[in-house]
Amino acid sequence: MERLHSEDPSFQCSRISHCGKIISFQCKQASGTNEGELEFCCFLFKKESSRLLKAAHGAAVICKKTSSCHLDIVKCKCAADFRKRVSSACVLVTRRSVKGENFKYSLFTLSSPDYRPRLCFEFKLPYEIKGDVSILQGPTVLWRHAENVFYKSLQAGEVRQIPAKMSHSVVAEPYSCQGQIFVLGVQSKHFQTPNKTMAYIVQNGQEFEFDGAQMLPHPYISITQCILVLSAEKVDNILKSTVVAATSYQQLVLFLNGTVKDVCALPFEKAEEIQLVNTGRNGCLFVVSFHQGHVCALWKETFQIASQWSGVSSVHVDDFLGCGTDQMLIFKNNKEGHPLESFLITDLCGISYSSGQDTESPQRSSLPPDSNHLALQALESRLQSGLTVLHGLQREVKVKDRVLQQSVEALAEGKAAISPPEQEDLVALWDSGDESKVEHLEEKMEDMPVVSNLPHIDKLWHRIMEDHVVVGVMLMTDSSVPVANVSLSILTETGQSSTPAVIQTTSQVLLLPTPGPSTSTSSSSSSSSSVSLEPAAKRKKPHDACTANDLSTCRMAVTAVARLAPLLNSDCVKCRVMLHYVQRPEAFSFITASTPVVLQCGEVTVGIHNHFQSQLLQNPSLTTEEIEEDLLCLLTLLDRWVFHINSPDQSLGDIDGWIQKKAGCRRVDVSPQYLLFNSSVQSSVMLLHWRQINPFNGELSVHSSQVQMLKFLDCLMSHLPMSCTVHPVRSTGGHGAAQIFPQTLELEVGSLRDSLSSLFAQKEENLNSGSNEAPESSSVEGLQRCREKWQQDVERSRRRLSPLVDLGRYRQLTQRLCKVQLNGDLAALLETQGALLH
Amino acid sequence: MYRPTSLLYKWIQENNALVQKLKRVESSHSLSRDQNQNHLRWCSLEFDKLLSKVQGVPPLADDTHLELSVAYNTCLCFTAQSRFTDSVLILSQSIQRVLQTTDEAPQSVASDLPAFWKKVLKSVRNTTLNNFVLNLLCSQWLIWLATCKLKAVQEFEEDLYSLTKTLCAGAENDMGCKKVEKFLYTPLLVMEPRRLAELLQIWTSVAQGAERLAEGQNLEALSGLQKASSLPAPRILLAYIHHLCGCCFVQMNCPQMALQCYKKALETDYSCVCALYQSVLIYRQLGNTQAEIQALCLLYSTLMLPPPVVPPLADAQLLSPSLLLHSQSFDTLHFVPSALSVLHTLALKCVLHNRLAEGVDHYLDLLATLQSEDQQPINSKVPDYPRLPELYLEAGAALLMACRPADCMALCNEVINTTLELLPQRLVLEDPEKRSHGEDNDDNGEDKAAVLFWTGTAYLLQGHCYSQLKDWKQAVTHYTRCINLLVKVCVKTKGSQPQVPGPGVVVKPGTHVCVLQRLKGLSLVGRGVSFTLTDHLQEALRDLQLSLHAFPECVVAGLWCGEVLWKLGRRREAAACWEKTWSYSTQSTVDDLPLYLQEPQLGSLLDSTEIRKRIQELGPTRST
Repeated sequence: MERLHSEDPSFQCSRISHCGKIISFQCKQASGTNEGELEFCCFLFKKESSRLLKAAHGAAVICKKTSSCHLDIVKCKCAADFRKRVSSACVLVTRRSVKGENFKYSLFTLSSPDYRPRLCFEFKLPYEIKGDVSILQGPTVLWRHAENVFYKSLQAGEVRQIPAKMSHSVVAEPYSCQGQIFVLGVQSKHFQTPNKTMAYIVQNGQEFEFDGAQMLPHPYISITQCILVLSAEKVDNILKSTVVAATSYQQLVLFLNGTVKDVCALPFEKAEEIQLVNTGRNGCLFVVSFHQGHVCALWKETFQIASQWSGVSSVHVDDFLGCGTDQMLIFKNNKEGHPLESFLITDLCGISYSSGQDTESPQRSSLPPDSNHLALQALESRLQSGLTVLHGLQREVKVKDRVLQQSVEALAEGKAAISPPEQEDLVALWDSGDESKVEHLEEKMEDMPVVSNLPHIDKLWHRIMEDHVVVGVMLMTDSSVPVANVSLSILTETGQSSTPAVIQTTSQVLLLPTPGPSTSTSSSSSSSSSVSLEPAAKRKKPHDACTANDLSTCRMAVTAVARLAPLLNSDCVKCRVMLHYVQRPEAFSFITASTPVVLQCGEVTVGIHNHFQSQLLQNPSLTTEEIEEDLLCLLTLLDRWVFHINSPDQSLGDIDGWIQKKAGCRRVDVSPQYLLFNSSVQSSVMLLHWRQINPFNGELSVHSSQVQMLKFLDCLMSHLPMSCTVHPVRSTGGHGAAQIFPQTLELEVGSLRDSLSSLFAQKEENLNSGSNEAPESSSVEGLQRCREKWQQDVERSRRRLSPLVDLGRYRQLTQRLCKVQLNGDLAALLETQGALLH
Repeated sequence: MYRPTSLLYKWIQENNALVQKLKRVESSHSLSRDQNQNHLRWCSLEFDKLLSKVQGVPPLADDTHLELSVAYNTCLCFTAQSRFTDSVLILSQSIQRVLQTTDEAPQSVASDLPAFWKKVLKSVRNTTLNNFVLNLLCSQWLIWLATCKLKAVQEFEEDLYSLTKTLCAGAENDMGCKKVEKFLYTPLLVMEPRRLAELLQIWTSVAQGAERLAEGQNLEALSGLQKASSLPAPRILLAYIHHLCGCCFVQMNCPQMALQCYKKALETDYSCVCALYQSVLIYRQLGNTQAEIQALCLLYSTLMLPPPVVPPLADAQLLSPSLLLHSQSFDTLHFVPSALSVLHTLALKCVLHNRLAEGVDHYLDLLATLQSEDQQPINSKVPDYPRLPELYLEAGAALLMACRPADCMALCNEVINTTLELLPQRLVLEDPEKRSHGEDNDDNGEDKAAVLFWTGTAYLLQGHCYSQLKDWKQAVTHYTRCINLLVKVCVKTKGSQPQVPGPGVVVKPGTHVCVLQRLKGLSLVGRGVSFTLTDHLQEALRDLQLSLHAFPECVVAGLWCGEVLWKLGRRREAAACWEKTWSYSTQSTVDDLPLYLQEPQLGSLLDSTEIRKRIQELGPTRST
């Protein structure tokens, strides 16, 4: 037959390797007769002559009349024969009737030692198998036809169909025979879920569905050109697999349990087959053969290309030398001579035989110039992999030694000496003590003589913000007679009692720029303010706000904040506002020579219906006095944090601009150093003040609630460079450390008062329990009694003046006070340390 | 919520793990530079592999954000290793794959990259991919800058600045709660694009400033730079901006403003030595020698400091400042001489400007350094750095000035021993104007002349040493050796036969002829003075007159000539000689002459008040 010449494309696949031999097949019309026969030839490689020698040949008659049918070899491949439990060479032959309607396929198997073709099974199809057909273990023949996958095996009996239509499919069998064939595919687009992976295991003539993603991820199925399953094993119903696939993106991809482990770019397009070469100790090679006779080999360990060839007619992997490891046998395209004359046998690790054609340097000549480098890399990686194996062995030896040693020791001591891990003791943190607040502090006010050189009170104002009332006074002081310890207090006249009650307030002093043309320039000292708690006498620190300023007149605002709720028992409350200060002529004699002065500033009326609309929040660009008061009110009410921002590596840039642009803040025109962050929710009002020290340092003051401050800082941090550090310098606020000290002092005074009064109160009670009926003064007895009573009264009043107290109770009292004082000392210590740190 | 497929999710995790690994190593400063480089190389290989994995499947709309992020990471890693072609390749490949998903006709990356990018930006605008493509554009921008393709950047300027804005706005909007939730499914980036864009913006300003400065557009350069200085910038770049501003002011002839800028640059980054060097040059130009010496001192000590740990640019060690500063436009502005050359200048300035002790110390330091590590070649770019023998002679002269003749003699011996064998038998010097017509053995002749002059100078200095020690006999011997050497030199003047140039010939300082004449004059003066002090008045008079003939402005020769004449009783001639000498402008030191050719301090042996007294005594007779 004319078709079976060497240039026939099917010719190259009619050559296979089996048990170290090369078997070539040919369909032929027997000479003389009309019979069609399958001719085969076995070749063995002889090392001595470096040639392939014919070992055996034969023929089997397939069809009686060649005139009625065409004979064709479809495919030949080695496959495991489950029935005989041997690997045999399989040849699929098709017989086509002359009319071309019926196709009869027969699978022949040959196995050593006799190599006689035996018919394994036959099947008839109404169509010709086009495209991919696979001969798989079993032997099984599997093919695709019109989006369907069919297969036929001995176990299956008849031709079976995989129950799904696949637009693209991949067929794979494990390298080690396990009787499983994997069919993976993408479901046809005719279905509603077009992109589903369909995966089946064909086993014992039946098909089972499985999760294909455990083997090959979905996107790869449609681009896989050929595949090699290195291992596939079901463990706990999960498929553990190692797969190598060549894709149409010119990559060889290694998958481990369905995830991409490694990729390598392939030098050629259209991969057709991947084979594994086990070179023994030197590791494994993948040999990928491509369309149009290109071949490349990669090391399995490094996944890098080891070598590549072009102009190859076929590649076979087997132990042709009989040395126990695999070699590649590469047949070259040989136009002139016999097709089996020019070949190369190599395993890339020392074994290399070549024959035919230009044999000077057959391998080198076909290599691109950079293949030397690649080979070197491969060798290097091989060396490394060898080393790791060696290290592994050494480690194991060490482990063994250690186990031995331990067992010997254990035997010698009679018990294993394993010390239990030490338990770490948990250290209790110091309990910071109770922070109960003394709710009310009452204090009798005494009217003080009015002193000359009074600070001039400009204006008294008040605002109600949420549940606080803020009362403020604008002051003009003459700095020739400096004032210190300035604070405000609010007294209520509740009506019933004649003595007005002092409301607990927090007072604050803010220095203002003096009115005039210089108002617009922001002075940095104006931001310095200090917080003090009532009563004023508690505060120890002098006001730097005042002492630092040496202008002839000094304008300041003193504010006091009080909770609104206690005030609003009645509808409308009139409050008297008192200004306290200490006048001291000399700067440093404030402790001895100072006299506290109280000044009445006026009255404010606080009513539950009073409603203040903060104009500042609505329009910060106004510059009225009310706006200034609004600002002062905010500054008083909001907690304040100061941060030092330092960026060592990168300049900070325009932070002010960022605050305005990105954080959406507006400048407060009445005091332009402040930026107002205004939102619809009043509780999230924030005032910011940025002071740039140099391009790399700056100070940020934030007046806001703590949450708001943290939010803003988070924003800012993501804007600032990564190497930037933010240090809190100082803070005022409900939870700040600065408040601990005054609170403890307050607690100390309160507890002293409470315990003393309780001590005496009990005494009093005891005394009072004597007699309570009124004596008659008419009789002598009565007189006598009166006298006694008087005597008793005298005695009592004498005792009251210098009372006797119970020793035990007194001891308890002092003990309790000592504890409280200890806390106070500690707080004072912390305070001073904090001050030193800043 | 968006949930990626497991494959994609794994790749995202792989990418994130790599990014975190890279960042972790960056943040630990314990590693050496080499280790860091190795790590970076490893990371970029891994990124490259991941990218090939991601690009190994058909482009899907879901995967593109991951793909572009990995491409961005890989690209930045490659760029950080200066592998620009690889980066560009990755960029164009990724973009083309993206375009495949957006159903746009695939565009080929023509040689015209900016046009390609413009098309790309147009096609992805208003899609979700826009931000990712912008990130890639950032890395393209980086490559353009690093490869000095400012033109491309300028062509693209508007797009790039709007890109910066978009990225910044995007980053701000992204803030908040969304971040945490998305983290697992969001591919991390090795460097925040916003920060990269900020950095690139400032970098562009700096590069443009440098280029404009080179083109002489000082005002434009200055305004651009000043605008850039308010942007957030890495310390090192900010220092450069100030430095470049200073250079602009120098070009605009505002030295004081320039000094201010250089000061700012130094305040910003103390390792910005080029600013210090430029201020040295300004002080020199202004004639403020004391300030110059101080600046030189500072420069030298800064150069001798161990090289500072270069802080990373924009929070990522990925991009080192060297990537930027190796572009050509910076080379001239960035130039700083070597520490040794600075030390030499410093020593010379000290000696010349009344800081003799310091100067001598610096010279000795310099010689010690040269002897301990001669493997360090001296930058040949510095014009006024002398050759080694000249350095020895200068040091010797300085030592002599500091009254350490023994040390000076040792140095001179060194010079004489090394040059003795190289001395030519005869040397013909040609007129400089004539020589400009070109002769082949020019270099050779130059070298020979130099060797001869070095030896001569060494003898001269030795003579000075002996005069200082008052060993007049030895002094005469050494001066004579010098004179004997100099006699071997003939000077060929224009169009005439070789002859010794007469006093009328004006010679430019610095030329060989000038050196020759000065040497001759000085050695003759030395010998004359020695003769005078050993009472060989006739010989002395001859030498001194010869000296005045060779080197008419020599003050010492004039004074001593008068002295000899006085001693010989030719008082009027003596007085005339003195008067004439004083009439010369008292040019004590000439900066552009080597230190060893300055006039020796032999004049101090004569008391000028004494001479004046003598003239006054003679006064009436002279007037009559």
